[in-house]
Amino acid sequence: MKNKEVLFGLYDDEEVLLTAVKNARTAHLDIMDVYSPFPVHGLDPILGLSESRIHQAGFVFGLIGTLTAFLFMTWVFTRDWPIIFGGKPYWSVPAFIPIIFELTVLFASIGMVVTYYAVNGQGPGVSNPVLDDRITDDKFCVAFDVTDTAVDRVDVYQQFFRETGASEVKTKTI
Amino acid sequence: MNQFTLVGRERTILFSFMILGLVCMGITFIVDDEFHSRFWSNFLHNSVFFTGIAFLALMFLCANVIALSGWHVVFKRLWEAYAQFLLVGIILMTVVVIGVWFHAHHLYHWADAESVANDEILEGKSGFLNPVMYTIFSIIVVGVWYFFATKMRALSIEEDGVAKYDFSIHKKKMKTWASWFLPIGGFTSAAVIWQWIMSIDAHWYSTLFAWYCTISWFVSMLCITVLTLIYLKSRGFYEQVDANHFHDLGKYVFGFSVFWTYLWFSQYMLIWYGNIGEETIYFHQRLEQYPVLFYGNLIVNFVLPFFVLLRNDTKRKMGVMAVICSIVLFGHWVDYFLMIKPGVLHTAHELLGHGGHSALMGAAEAIPVGHQVAADAQAHAEHASNFVSGFSLPGLLEVGTFLGFAALFVFFFMRQLEQAPLVPERDPYIDESLHHHVV
Repeated sequence: MKNKEVLFGLYDDEEVLLTAVKNARTAHLDIMDVYSPFPVHGLDPILGLSESRIHQAGFVFGLIGTLTAFLFMTWVFTRDWPIIFGGKPYWSVPAFIPIIFELTVLFASIGMVVTYYAVNGQGPGVSNPVLDDRITDDKFCVAFDVTDTAVDRVDVYQQFFRETGASEVKTKTI
Repeated sequence: MNQFTLVGRERTILFSFMILGLVCMGITFIVDDEFHSRFWSNFLHNSVFFTGIAFLALMFLCANVIALSGWHVVFKRLWEAYAQFLLVGIILMTVVVIGVWFHAHHLYHWADAESVANDEILEGKSGFLNPVMYTIFSIIVVGVWYFFATKMRALSIEEDGVAKYDFSIHKKKMKTWASWFLPIGGFTSAAVIWQWIMSIDAHWYSTLFAWYCTISWFVSMLCITVLTLIYLKSRGFYEQVDANHFHDLGKYVFGFSVFWTYLWFSQYMLIWYGNIGEETIYFHQRLEQYPVLFYGNLIVNFVLPFFVLLRNDTKRKMGVMAVICSIVLFGHWVDYFLMIKPGVLHTAHELLGHGGHSALMGAAEAIPVGHQVAADAQAHAEHASNFVSGFSLPGLLEVGTFLGFAALFVFFFMRQLEQAPLVPERDPYIDESLHHHVV
């Protein structure tokens, strides 16, 4: 994969960051990503990010877990290995429910983790370049992808950082 | 607009519903059996339901004070107003208490001295299940709750006069009173529930029952909160309450509906698994004679809120919330119906000397497996002949009584709302509540 050339500005304060992102959106600048040490409240709608669909995946995984547990136990206790427990019928649904619940939770949680990693291209062995170490501490960062970008366009970005009060502006190849 | 006043139209509607309730209770009293079981069980059912809602409003208010929570502050006057209904609750329960002393009703098997004398189990429980204890828990303990309710409200109104961000009342007084109330209310309410509801099935007990009832009240309380907020918003009050507050209330309704189901199921499964006759009789009775309510209860109070409120956006839509909360509120009322009515009917049968009902069940159990078909047929016959209006399903008279009590509750708390500004401007957490964002 070709390396990316990233131009990024660091901000000291989340309020400044929010204003900067708002300005970028009104000026139709194509932001690559925004990094922050903690979730900044109200950033998602300003960035125009649509709601995550991870919970819909979670619902489907949960449903699969429910059906797996229910059908498996039904098969085991009525077809494969019927045993009488405590004088109850073979197909004793109340006794299945705790296990159905556990498998629903298990499938939903593991499924959501795996989906999240798969969708974001994350996982063991994937390198994850950090633009600046201080982004994980106290700096907020707005990044633009400037690979093969015309010089005057880069100047627009530089101008944007100056106007919105970025404390530092840097480039990095990742 | 920060000062609520009841308008004439609201008074008219509420009073018509109260009169409807009275008329329904009057008709019930006339068409009733000789013990007036239907009338008294309706009275107990609705009194317990709304008193419990008032109690839970106070519990939740105190829990939020202790937790330094801020999101609810903008509409906390609602819960203060609900909690004041405990006063009416004491009066309503006093009527039941008087009935216990003078044998005006036969809601409780343990209140019948002759039955207790001939019954080992009732005799063993008579240290707790007796008129004196019933009076103490129904009047004195609920009186203590009411005292805390007035205290919390007085402090909250006192706070309206302090400077902005003045924490003195919150930290020194409110927190102390709230932290005393939580254990007192928590422990006593369990005993009150045993007395009021669980002792209707006097031979039966379940250690989980008090929690189960409390959560039923809690979900009802949250539903009433949502409905009241939507109504007051439609009248132009509480413009500060927005989708974010509804989202949080919706999460509470969702979460505690699931918790209610968890307790319902825990109680059911342990009894089902243990399979001890003294315990299973409770569910056997309800499954055999009340199948519609038994399963309907689960569908309305679990399946419906679970799947509808699972999504993020449904909790933020007032229309959806209004529909769901109305249904769930009624669902929990039916839940109490199912806790109270079968036991009352059973007690009435016992005392009237009918006894045939339990003898028939005993016979059905004694029939060997080979005769299962015969037993089934017998059970069906018993089933068909056992429909008792006002007990097997809530009839129109029950619904009318419910509307009457609901109107009383609404009228009472709206009168309370009139007496203080709707939004507590000087609560130290008010800004957190006004700028509440969930997503």
